[in-house]
Amino acid sequence: MSLRDQAHPNPHNLRHRNGTTPQLVGRYPHYDVLSEADHWDEVTRRVVLDRVERVPPIVFFTEAEAGTLKAFCDIVTAQDEEPRIAVLSYIDEKLETGVGDGWQHAGLPGDGDVWRTVARGLDEEAGGCYAEASEETRVEIVHRFAKAELRDGVWRDLDVGQAWGVVMRYVVQAFYSHPWAWNEIGFGGPAYPRGYSAFGSPHLGEREPWEGVESVHYDPVRDAKKWGLD
Amino acid sequence: MGARLTGLPADNDSAVLLHPHKRGLQNLDRMARYRDGDEVDLAVVGAGAGGSVIAQRLARRGWKVVVLEKGPLWDPDRDWVSDEKGAGQAGLYWTDNRIISGEDPIELGKNNSGVGVGGSMTHFAGYVPRLHPSDFEVGSRDGVAVDWPISYDELKPSFERIERELPVAGEYWPWGDPHGYPHKPHPVAGAALFAWEGARKQGIEMRVGPVAITNGRFGNRPHCIYRGFCLEGCKVNAKASPLITHIPDAIEHGCEIRADSFVTRVEIDNESGRASGVRYIRDGVECFQRASAVAVCGYAIETPRLLLNSVCRRHPRGLGNAADLVGRYVMVQGAPQVAGRFPELLRMYKAPPPEVTSEQFYETDDRRGFARGFSIQTVSPLPIGWAEHVLAEGHWGQSLREYMRDYNHWSVLGILAEFMPLAENRVTLADEKDGFGVPIAHFSYTLCDNDRAIVAYAKKVLEQVWHTAGAMDVLTIDRYAHLVGGARMGSSPDDSVVDSSHRVWGIDNLFVVDGSVMPTQGSANPALTIMALADRWSRLV
Repeated sequence: MSLRDQAHPNPHNLRHRNGTTPQLVGRYPHYDVLSEADHWDEVTRRVVLDRVERVPPIVFFTEAEAGTLKAFCDIVTAQDEEPRIAVLSYIDEKLETGVGDGWQHAGLPGDGDVWRTVARGLDEEAGGCYAEASEETRVEIVHRFAKAELRDGVWRDLDVGQAWGVVMRYVVQAFYSHPWAWNEIGFGGPAYPRGYSAFGSPHLGEREPWEGVESVHYDPVRDAKKWGLD
Repeated sequence: MGARLTGLPADNDSAVLLHPHKRGLQNLDRMARYRDGDEVDLAVVGAGAGGSVIAQRLARRGWKVVVLEKGPLWDPDRDWVSDEKGAGQAGLYWTDNRIISGEDPIELGKNNSGVGVGGSMTHFAGYVPRLHPSDFEVGSRDGVAVDWPISYDELKPSFERIERELPVAGEYWPWGDPHGYPHKPHPVAGAALFAWEGARKQGIEMRVGPVAITNGRFGNRPHCIYRGFCLEGCKVNAKASPLITHIPDAIEHGCEIRADSFVTRVEIDNESGRASGVRYIRDGVECFQRASAVAVCGYAIETPRLLLNSVCRRHPRGLGNAADLVGRYVMVQGAPQVAGRFPELLRMYKAPPPEVTSEQFYETDDRRGFARGFSIQTVSPLPIGWAEHVLAEGHWGQSLREYMRDYNHWSVLGILAEFMPLAENRVTLADEKDGFGVPIAHFSYTLCDNDRAIVAYAKKVLEQVWHTAGAMDVLTIDRYAHLVGGARMGSSPDDSVVDSSHRVWGIDNLFVVDGSVMPTQGSANPALTIMALADRWSRLV
């Protein structure tokens, strides 16, 4: 199975035309949340714009680990071409601070060591370098990781289900904190100090003048069923 | 300024002590400074829902009060970020390591643990329902858990006072002890309207509120701007937290808020057996604040941790722990989320996540096959929260991306299920130590059959609500919210850590005034109850 096979209904039907989205895919072709940055408070603006303008260098992971884990992040976020959100760079930055999210499973090492162990485990499963394996192999390994079906080698010392939870928490936090992802999904962004006025009754269906207009060729839920997908 | 004209409480000026156009506190230059050697009347550990209220009350009565808080004294303009990830980077959540275990390990951090002046309420959603009268007597009424040593009627005046001070906005409340609220209900956004409609068709009554978010004039607290970032710290000062509802008035009356000060031990005088003060670390230096009384207000994990770490000759197992009860009976609430998908654009990121609520399933109904019940509330996650929801349903790769592109079509309802207090659900000290040399907390959690039965039933109810509302797709995930218990209140030292006046059994001048004293929890978000308990205690001492 390839990523593109997984991709029905094909979001590539709709190329983003304004602003940037990961892989130029999105539902809101004329929406660019970054064009609203002048309306954000300075503290928030700095934090959000830095994510776009200052991608942190990899310092926590070794070069080999980074290669493996970048490939892993690409698979789990379906980033198969540019432009990509540099997911692993933000994860590396957070791990380098040594500040986690406030808990650690009794059966797991610290978050940084979970990540390093996952890198070793992915390489073992690929019988070499995970990043160099075929796309089919990379996807298949992640399938088994997600279902906690990896059991041999380094995975023996790990609660694989919990480890999946740890790494994916980092992944979605890195990906969906990025303004490009907000463009893709039509999220309004910081919205401070402006706030919102068009919501709810009697404004249902109304939007702020600056919010994106959705444009899709298909209804994803109805069509997913039609095409026999879960 | 007459209280009746302004709607402001007569005995708490916090709302007018704030600046109309700046969020940071304006009276810090007038704050009292006590020396470690001064014996203050009260040392308070933790500036959250419990500690801030007692500090404000007792400072007004002329007590010399010092509040020691591990985290910073926030200036929301400067420190807080209107962004989901940025809030964590700003340090709003308790991120020092803690170990979790058990069959149902509970995630901590942003989910339920705060740090800094204002405590977890700086990032709570804003829901402030009262407990029901039945919550105080579930042992005798329902044959489960225990009765509280105090009744609803004893706490009711405190609920009312706190509701005026926050202030609370909401519709007339028909459940439990029926009551109204000082501010009118907020408007309801599109996502919640769909939930409401589905519930109505299903015969479930829902009401707007109750939320601690201003909806009208209240001193210098601005009106809500409906930006949806309640869980990231309110940069508007519209949502209540003790930082703006009680700390300004406390400072005005001579209370010192000593931020960035981590209390490591409560010291007990070996001769008298009384607490003599607290040992704490500030700027890397260990200090000792003398005090004639100590109130521990660290919440369900840090309070047990501090009591257990304060071993001494008289208390070799930790303070209040002669019967091995400190850290036990910690409770979370079952908080599964059920999301429904609609053809319309709902944009659930707009408006505060807490909007409409039902307490129709709150009380025991024997036909359901379990004791006690649950409440229903809208939750409206932002993108990262929604991604965690989609992920928990097993989606990644293209499937995750596609569900996420569909974000604006979804509305999310949550449950708060009353879980039972169980002795084995507990906080202990781990072998590992933190940067201050204090053993970190180990929190173990396993649900009982009644807990699981409530969650299973509640999820079905919500799924029916969405199907009735016409949802095209429904996603259900398990999660947990809130923390209470760990230093339970009771009528005997054999079954509790503190008595009904919050005094630690066997130590005359040591009190626990926070959510950890709650023997049971109901299906209500705990913030209001914790503040009400603190208000009641202030009138007892």
